[in-house]
Amino acid sequence: MSSVTQIAPTPVAPVVTRPTRRRRVRKAAWNLLGVIVFLVMVFPVYWMIATAFKPGHDILSYTPQWIPTHPTLSNFHDATHMPFFWDAAKNSLIVVSIVVALSLVLAFLAALALAKFRFYGRRPFIVLILGVQMVPLAALIIPLYIMMSRLNDVKGVNHVLGVDKLGGVIAMYLTFVLPFAVWTLRGFLLGVPKELEESAMVDGTTRFGAFVRILLPLVGPGLVATSIFAFIQAWNEFIIAYVFLHTPQKQTLMVWLASFTTLRGTDWGPLMAGATLCSLPVIVFFLLVQRRIAFGLTAGAVKG
Amino acid sequence: MAEIQFIHVSKVYGGDTPAVRDLNLEVNEGEFVVLVGPSGCGKTTALRMVAGLEEITEGEIRIGDRVVNDLPPRERDIAMVFQNYALYPHKSVYENLAFGLRMRKVPKAEQKRRVEEIARVLGLGEMLNRRPAQLSGGQRQRVAMGRAIVREPKAFLMDEPLSNLDAKLRVQMRAEIARIQQALKVTTVYVTHDQVEAMTMGDRVAVMRDGKLQQVDTTQRLYDAPANLFVASFVGSPPMNLFEAGVRRDNGRLLCRVGDSQFELPADLAAARPALGEYAGRRIAVGIRPEDVREASGWDGARLRGRILLVESLGSEQLVHIEIAAAPLERSDLVDIAAQPPGPSLGVGELEQAVTLLGRFDRHLLLSPGEAVEVAIDPRLLHFFDLETGVAVPSAVDAPVAAGVAG
Repeated sequence: MSSVTQIAPTPVAPVVTRPTRRRRVRKAAWNLLGVIVFLVMVFPVYWMIATAFKPGHDILSYTPQWIPTHPTLSNFHDATHMPFFWDAAKNSLIVVSIVVALSLVLAFLAALALAKFRFYGRRPFIVLILGVQMVPLAALIIPLYIMMSRLNDVKGVNHVLGVDKLGGVIAMYLTFVLPFAVWTLRGFLLGVPKELEESAMVDGTTRFGAFVRILLPLVGPGLVATSIFAFIQAWNEFIIAYVFLHTPQKQTLMVWLASFTTLRGTDWGPLMAGATLCSLPVIVFFLLVQRRIAFGLTAGAVKG
Repeated sequence: MAEIQFIHVSKVYGGDTPAVRDLNLEVNEGEFVVLVGPSGCGKTTALRMVAGLEEITEGEIRIGDRVVNDLPPRERDIAMVFQNYALYPHKSVYENLAFGLRMRKVPKAEQKRRVEEIARVLGLGEMLNRRPAQLSGGQRQRVAMGRAIVREPKAFLMDEPLSNLDAKLRVQMRAEIARIQQALKVTTVYVTHDQVEAMTMGDRVAVMRDGKLQQVDTTQRLYDAPANLFVASFVGSPPMNLFEAGVRRDNGRLLCRVGDSQFELPADLAAARPALGEYAGRRIAVGIRPEDVREASGWDGARLRGRILLVESLGSEQLVHIEIAAAPLERSDLVDIAAQPPGPSLGVGELEQAVTLLGRFDRHLLLSPGEAVEVAIDPRLLHFFDLETGVAVPSAVDAPVAAGVAG
């Protein structure tokens, strides 16, 4: 009983030096672990880029060549001159831009409703949004394919939706981008004090005007995070595109990349060059928008 | 500028929680009215209903000669200052000030002229390009005020605009807001839970409790003639002393019994409050302001014997807690509980029923805890309230607008 109230003895001088050394060792260990993780993550990317610049015999050599000694651009030339590369690039861009744009608009409006209005069934809806993200995609592919293929016969929508239509793939992508986007944006919207829109409304805007003029700029970081997520998801997606798009002219870049692997083997050089090219847009997009994520814009709205 | 009228206004949340009950209040043109009351009394809801941020369940609100019940906030031509200022964080001070003008399609040049003038008046001239995050609390408060003023609205609505400031700045801004309001003569409704703020700022003060308006009057009348026990206990700092007493008629004279001492209620008092006679033979609630409690030597009036519990020196005077024999009020639901002094100290109370009487005494009196003391009370300065309803016993001279606390 009495031990509970005991106060720890003040450390004496020699004890003080030991923790600093131990702390330094521990810090070094963590740093080492960090470097290892970094290398593991970066190596495949490096290997992809390095391979893209190697001539064919260097790629298949049994002594690994860490740095391309005879760098060449021929792989890139081969890749971009493969059939359907530009079709695939165009298709990917169409799919990605529509998915990003639609998901931002729809997710913002849905998140607005969830964060700012009370309505019947709001709570089940929120639970549903969380729940659908737990369903494995692979389990859905066949039912979705059957559903989509039936849409091919429905007059009016079969210009846009259906199997072997970019619209069908876009709709599929939205089904798994939207729940996440709505959830993320809702969190950002909840962080904006409601007095800001109220103040805007008193100042002379409509309710919707307050959303657009005040809330929208304030959830900028959330929109950026969401758009990056949507971009990466739609750009990198393979299975759905592979299953749903049959005609080579309609395939996306990821499906096109798979065409390097044939029954007669894999053409590694052009494949790696193609993969390098395919990863560029994601990196560029991320670099363009990432600076807006960093800081919270709501600072100073209300008493800090 | 316009007057604001609440006509039988009620607000019910979620079907069964009444926030405001049958509120009738008129704020005249150019008048500064403060809504005050403990938290949850409905004052903010009332204000938000004027702004259009809260739907009106029943009744009517008029601004000027328009019924605004169904008008969206932007068409009511009012400006509101929020407790947390609600400055737009992604806009500069200039843009914050100009936002309302821009929304109302005021020409650019006119916007600039008005914003710059307001900024100069409020001492924000140097900060027009800053973001709210780069301002101090006081400066943010000024921007929030400026944003309301620059619009030249029909009325200002202020929702506890000072409660986020530290004590010194609050006193300073209090005076500043009152001065601005007097200069502009704009109808203002100001909500606060701080009765000192309410007393010092408003032309009139409306005291609310549990969604019901208790009393509306000038500060002085509110202090001198509280309509019921709640107002009596809420208004004034330190609060009014309240306790129970017995009233008895003896040979035509009215006698009042507090604890074991008894004194006569003078004939002029009984004449001024004829209803007091009806309490003969019954119990009544009695109140006295701390400044009307005097150390007995040199003063006339009824004597009460007590013992000093605590002496708080305030520099200019001293606040003395005196334990006297008297029955405390049983109905604590009729008073503002937060304002009641703590009960008699533990252990030392050999008195059966004791209440703590607060007295504001001259600073030169030498008093120390534990001492016995005799206080003098002028019966004419006493306040009388019904024990059941809490309503003040009406005075024949000018009957205050009485409103029962309960029900």
